Amino acid sequence: MFERGAYIASSCTMVGPKEDAGAFGGLFDIVLSDDRCGEKSYEKAESRMHRTAIEGALARAGLADDGVDLMLAGDLLNEISASNLAMRHFKTPFLGLYNACSTFTEAVLLAAMLIDRGQIQRACCSTSSHFASAERQYRYPLELGNQRTPTSQWTVTGAGALVLSDESVQEDERAYEGFLERVSSLPPSDFAAKIAAKKGKMPVKVYRQGHEAPFDAVVTGGTLGRVVDYGMLDESNMGAAMAPAAADTLIGHFEDTGRTPGDYDAICTGDLGRFGSEALFAVLSSEGVDIEAKHLDLGAEYYLPEQKTFQGGSGAGCVNTAFCAFVLPKLRSGEWRRVLVLATGALLSKDTPLQKESIPGISHAFVAESAEKRESTLEKAQKYYTIGQNRE
Amino acid sequence: MISKDAYKRYVEKNAPRSPMWRSMTAAFLVGGLICCLGQGVHDGIAAIFPAMSEEDIASWTTVTLIFLGAFLTAVGVYDKLGHFAGGGSIVPITGFANSVVSPAVEYNREGVFFGVCAKMFVIAGPIIVFGVVASVIAGLIGLITEAV
Amino acid sequence: MEIFLMYLKVFAVGGALCALGQLLINKTKMSSARILVCFMLLGALLEITGAFGYMKEFAGAGVTVPITGFGSTLVKGALEGAKESGLIGAVTGGIKAAGAGLASVIFFGFVFALVSRSKSKKI
Repeated sequence: MFERGAYIASSCTMVGPKEDAGAFGGLFDIVLSDDRCGEKSYEKAESRMHRTAIEGALARAGLADDGVDLMLAGDLLNEISASNLAMRHFKTPFLGLYNACSTFTEAVLLAAMLIDRGQIQRACCSTSSHFASAERQYRYPLELGNQRTPTSQWTVTGAGALVLSDESVQEDERAYEGFLERVSSLPPSDFAAKIAAKKGKMPVKVYRQGHEAPFDAVVTGGTLGRVVDYGMLDESNMGAAMAPAAADTLIGHFEDTGRTPGDYDAICTGDLGRFGSEALFAVLSSEGVDIEAKHLDLGAEYYLPEQKTFQGGSGAGCVNTAFCAFVLPKLRSGEWRRVLVLATGALLSKDTPLQKESIPGISHAFVAESAEKRESTLEKAQKYYTIGQNRE
Repeated sequence: MISKDAYKRYVEKNAPRSPMWRSMTAAFLVGGLICCLGQGVHDGIAAIFPAMSEEDIASWTTVTLIFLGAFLTAVGVYDKLGHFAGGGSIVPITGFANSVVSPAVEYNREGVFFGVCAKMFVIAGPIIVFGVVASVIAGLIGLITEAV
Repeated sequence: MEIFLMYLKVFAVGGALCALGQLLINKTKMSSARILVCFMLLGALLEITGAFGYMKEFAGAGVTVPITGFGSTLVKGALEGAKESGLIGAVTGGIKAAGAGLASVIFFGFVFALVSRSKSKKI
């Protein structure tokens, strides 16, 4: 637990078209209608999304490109290349992190710890994942005609960034508006997109999320997770591999803080998926902990059932974009006062299952609370439109 | 915490499974149709070129089906078919073409040399290696049985 | 009528082989490459034992279009090679017979990789 905590100054999310069609549709900041993002490859696209999300969060907090003291970032690609390449554009010290899908909570916890101790003033935490690049990284080529098993999850195409600060920050509308103008002039990526652009369909859709924000969201604590391995071998059932890690961290958190699930408005796991959540309840019930009433799996909630993602979303961008788009506004409006966000990561590479290694899981949790704001509230209703073109 | 074995049992018992009958039916129908298509190509070639030997017809049929599989992969249809049919589109020779063409297409962003050419057989490599090894062993068996 | 019966047999046998593959996928979670190898080896084995010829007579493309046909072609070529030109035939015969399939798959793979790019799934 922290003494002062770290204020969440701003956030920015950028996702693909499928994500916007899902359950959190309309809550994101920037939506690509073409998930190649004007680039030649999906890896480049992911890196660009990552960079754009960071720029957006910085602009929204009214900061220059070198306005934070530290950047913490990670993704799922080899040697976290999407983050590394994105960081070329910022003249800020950078810590690269990898904890698979739990990288986001790891980054937020680390940044909050440093800010709480007064080591730094502001930090930017960002993660990204892309369905197409992750599919190639961990599984098979996109065009291979194989069947996804019903326990598999769908990697979220999304990047999100969060600026943490040691003081309450007023969002900078003008700087953010300028950023959105820049983003929406992204060039079309291929012939088909060019034709669509001529018809007035821009490659990027922008949602203006005006937060009715009488409250500040503050990261007030958390629990760092241990690597937990229950000997799961099936790499297409990562929910089962990660559930024990989530349970371990949750039990540790309740023991450390003396809190109970009743102290939270919501306990959001990252991407356990539908079966993974059930497995989590099963493990917890053997410990006499019941979180079912408060539990919400952001991954399982991410997509609608008819989108055929089986277990739901996963990936480093999953919990990140869902938190920024869905949980954060609830904290800022005061609808939720205290939430526990607990992302889980399955620590495997493409080679470890081949070497008959089991899949260890890890889970980091942070607590976010809403705190009274002293400044006047932002008066802005939630508006939604596309630049240059009204939405059909 | 729950013991590892108990957890393993729980997962095995409760993890969702593929819908057995639905997926088998889809595989049966699509697989059967692809085989009929192959038979149709075979009969068609035989009707147009009556002088062609049975072996050449078989080769031409194979080439045609491989072209079809490769083409459908390249235009992005075969993965959708595979999603529906599973084994029905994996087991026929078109599935073999798909397993060669899909990595080649996937890795073309790494260039022709190290991308397309080097990665072409990341999935289908075992098929060719096993096939060739099996054929050599079979050839040797043939030699021995003939000598005896 | 005879043609219809033939196609019915092709459909039934080919479909059954594919359904067997699906059963393996459901039960063992094998990847597609493993399935292909298993069926190819099955075809090779049937060819060695001589059963494949009868099956082909019965079901035609029902057994030659699935990858079992590829395995049988390889083995058949090797056996014929061994008969005709001894040791060197036994070693080269398989590849020679399967040349059409191998060459076309490599050629088409190369050509399509130059003109196409993989698309993100929308399902």
